[in-house]
Amino acid sequence: MYRCLAWTGVAAVLFLVPFYLDGFWLQTGLFAMSAAIGAIGINLLTGATGQLSMGHAFFLAVGAYAYVFFSAEPTAKLGGLGLPTGLAAVLAVVVAGVAGGLFSPIAGRLKGAYLGIATFALIFGGQHVLFNAEHLTGGFNGRAVPELDLFGFSFGDTPALVVLQVPFGTLERLWFLGLALVALSIVFAQGVLKGRPGRAMNTIRDHEIAAGVMGVPVARYRAGVFVLSSMYGGLAGVLLALVFQRTVPEYFGVLLSLDYLAMIVIGGLGSVGGAVGGALFVSLLPQLLTKYSDSIPLVAAPGTPGGVSPAEAARILYGAAVVTVVLFLPGGLLGLIRKIRLRPPRLRLPLSSPSPSPETRSPHVP
Amino acid sequence: MSLDRKAAIVIAALALAASACASDKATGGAAPATATGGDGVKTGPGVTETTITLSLLTDLTGPYASLGKSVTQAQQMYFEQLNAAGGVCGRTIETVVRDHGYDVQKAMAAYAEVAPRTAAIPQFIGSPMVTALKEKITADKILTLPNAWATSLLGSDAIQVTGTTYDVDMINAVDFLTKEKGIKAGDRIGHLYFEGDYGESALNGSKFAAGKAGLELVEQKIKATDQDMTAQATAFKKAGVNAILVSVGPRQAASLVGVALASGLDVPFVGSNSAYSPLLLDTPAAPALLKDYYVATAGAPISAPLPVYQKLITDYEAKFPGEPLDSGVASGYTQAVIIGDALKAACAAKDLSRAGIITAHRSQNAWEGGFGGTPMDFSVYDKPASLSTYIVKPDKEAIGGAVIFKEHTISDLAKEYQVPPPA
Amino acid sequence: MTTFVELLVNGISIGAVYALIALGFVIIFKATEVVNFAHASLLLAGGYLVARLWPLVGFWAALLIGVAAAALVAAAIEFLVIRRADVASHSVLAIVTIGVDIVITTELTRQIGTDVLAMGDPWGSEVVRFGGVTLAETRIVALVTAAALITAFLLAFKYTGWGVAMRAAAEDAETAALMGVRLGRVSMSAWAVAGGLAAVAALFLCVFPTPGLDRSTSLVALKAFPAAILGGLDSTTGALVGGLVIGVTESMMSGYQNDMVFLGRGIGDVAPFLVMLVILLIRPAGLFGTKELARV
Repeated sequence: MYRCLAWTGVAAVLFLVPFYLDGFWLQTGLFAMSAAIGAIGINLLTGATGQLSMGHAFFLAVGAYAYVFFSAEPTAKLGGLGLPTGLAAVLAVVVAGVAGGLFSPIAGRLKGAYLGIATFALIFGGQHVLFNAEHLTGGFNGRAVPELDLFGFSFGDTPALVVLQVPFGTLERLWFLGLALVALSIVFAQGVLKGRPGRAMNTIRDHEIAAGVMGVPVARYRAGVFVLSSMYGGLAGVLLALVFQRTVPEYFGVLLSLDYLAMIVIGGLGSVGGAVGGALFVSLLPQLLTKYSDSIPLVAAPGTPGGVSPAEAARILYGAAVVTVVLFLPGGLLGLIRKIRLRPPRLRLPLSSPSPSPETRSPHVP
Repeated sequence: MSLDRKAAIVIAALALAASACASDKATGGAAPATATGGDGVKTGPGVTETTITLSLLTDLTGPYASLGKSVTQAQQMYFEQLNAAGGVCGRTIETVVRDHGYDVQKAMAAYAEVAPRTAAIPQFIGSPMVTALKEKITADKILTLPNAWATSLLGSDAIQVTGTTYDVDMINAVDFLTKEKGIKAGDRIGHLYFEGDYGESALNGSKFAAGKAGLELVEQKIKATDQDMTAQATAFKKAGVNAILVSVGPRQAASLVGVALASGLDVPFVGSNSAYSPLLLDTPAAPALLKDYYVATAGAPISAPLPVYQKLITDYEAKFPGEPLDSGVASGYTQAVIIGDALKAACAAKDLSRAGIITAHRSQNAWEGGFGGTPMDFSVYDKPASLSTYIVKPDKEAIGGAVIFKEHTISDLAKEYQVPPPA
Repeated sequence: MTTFVELLVNGISIGAVYALIALGFVIIFKATEVVNFAHASLLLAGGYLVARLWPLVGFWAALLIGVAAAALVAAAIEFLVIRRADVASHSVLAIVTIGVDIVITTELTRQIGTDVLAMGDPWGSEVVRFGGVTLAETRIVALVTAAALITAFLLAFKYTGWGVAMRAAAEDAETAALMGVRLGRVSMSAWAVAGGLAAVAALFLCVFPTPGLDRSTSLVALKAFPAAILGGLDSTTGALVGGLVIGVTESMMSGYQNDMVFLGRGIGDVAPFLVMLVILLIRPAGLFGTKELARV
């Protein structure tokens, strides 16, 4: 009951944001939404199923570039299919899933560290293609992203739209699309995690052999989750491209992949809420530090000598957050919130286990 | 549950109603207005009765941090001096510095944050970042001076690429090699370049010039993260090149020159303006760089005997003792002066709106500013503002680590050259 | 032919340096089953100290201090972070090392600032010629040093008490503990050794033909990942072979780049990862890695 009320409050606030905050906050918020979708995806894979992936940025790139390719009108220098943009967005997500599927011979066979480093190859190989397949990707400079147009409603600056006296440009319009996509992603992932597949995934993470013995088709599940997580990545990529209005290969590198891993650890492994929380933390922190660098002690405004610059402070904080969370807050930010909420202690069994895998460090636990 | 839903609807309705009257954004959809102040000067975003806000979008934590630091410090110093001399139009210049660490997303976020209160951008590092924001900058009409010289940045009236573009520099470099280094038709020349705008822009120039001069071009492309140029030097040696063009970072240039000389590939090298840093003269690469390495650049080196540079050197050394006086200091300062002059011209025309600043800037077709070289033509924006290039040579004794080797010239090849149209 | 030999020899010598880094990964993985993504920061830490200290205490003393300090930092990571993160799965431990890496690297690059730091090594830019093949002296030293260190490690691993303890711990930690092996000491020493090796590698990555150490040096450590994996994460031989394969592949692909334009320019950077993928497709545990055996 109270929970429901709280959620409606949150939803109402989120709805109001574009009426008050300026472009900077909307853009930051939209980046965070895209990150949230991507993080939910990688949390299904790494958090819930225990498959380490360092190649998530690649699937964002596939989604972003596929959307551009499908929706753009072909020109002399750049290819394109000129499809309706809504269809292009859906196809882009599918293509990201197919890319994940093509990797399944590796994703289904490799485990742990081997899989993690193998997925590095996706990043380097992917960026190589992005830089070199200029006809498709525009090379180093990337490509302009066509505006999304759904059923005659344009998510661009034109035609001018004024809602309640507030001019609605690209960012304001995309804000609501972003909210809808995040909500959809959350609901779907919750469904997966709470149902039979989720239990199977957790069993694979916690004890793969037991899962196999109990009749879970382990290899098929692993490949399937990889595809699903790639599709989430693709969707995040499409949203990111729409916000950026330009795709550039440089962005989809190793650092982005590592950011995603940091998000899910900080937020809480294996849960949807954790992914969203971690995504917000990692994407908002540097922006907040930069914006308020004048008033934060020890952090110097960019360009002034002495002190730690906001960008560096943000990186140190977020690196430290990863370490702190693992050492002191098993379960991440979400676990912390639950802990606070569970006081005074009540008897309650969480539906999905909020703590990370109970797999221990000794390899011979029966 | 139904109670919840009712509550939700009530909350939403109340909030929505409240928003309509309380939001700053509730402008009814009019574009950000220009106003005319008490002094009869038209103003726009970033300009108030007392201040003019300029944004420096720089890299202080990424691969171009050393450039960013020099440019930012030189520019802040110039604007402080300008303020001390009474500012522009009775207004003080305020600078906002944002560090994007050479990351496109951070650059976009930084731009979105500062753009609404910015009158002009005297520094924007990184051609990927400027390219990504090109359309927005053009639509927002913010006069922007990128610290990158790729041809893809041409073609927007709001973006002013100063001096030559990389391709023009390389054409003049090939001309220099044929005229003074004995390179003749039929010879092979190598070109080591970065993937991306910078390298590919430069490659366009070398391809054109090599074709015209009857040279065969041997290309080697590398990434910014590559450090060791042994394989590339070996490949050049195998191809038997007689000279090498270098459009990479200072580190890679130093590595290439060192390896090439050590393995007996003793040929002249000409680098783009971003392929040299005086910091390298403190490393073991120094002897190789001092031997037969040149840099083709539109701006005179800071050691050139120009009064404006002598003042810059004195002031900068007093304010930032011990900091290197590299090309970033000179180019950053020049760009600050260009913006300062544009603001002064806009003030004279009583129009400090963004469009007014651009118009004032674009009305100058022979800007020289005391910096030597061929005057720059700001009235066109689909062609480089200048076609003339200095050939500069590293020198350990000189301030800024480089001296003029050959005065600025426009080669005949460069006059023939047509900049490729923007994609 | 000369070019081929030159590229091959250069590839082998840089590959030997990669092998030093990869060996560090493998040692850490064997002892604690952690994939150490903080390796890049260990490398940077060691290199940074050498570069800063040689003008004060001379090159050899600086090198010693640098190696010792990197070993100390690595041991500290093990003691303060890895050992205390008792709940986590191996993936989580790997991610923790990413956090550690970010903190250390950010602080070090802040210290390095915009400088390019020379390493003060005695070899300079001298080259040696064999027939038509030229090779930098630094590369020969790198090759010899790497070979010596790797041999010494393999011997120690086989014959010393420490090596036996480590192998026992890697084989069966619980039994080893019951037999009196101090697991904490074993894993901490493994981290320290890996840190020291990384510092030596840093030296050779920053001397001629590269101009010196700067903020981007740590990125080179990324190349040791495919090296460690394709050899097999738990095989010391694998690290050696992996490093050489990656070094030679990279050198060859860059050197013959002009004959392979159809693959796109800059293929030299990607090739190591492609080689790794192909090997993993055939042998999912790498060339020399032990296949995971399951006991239920």
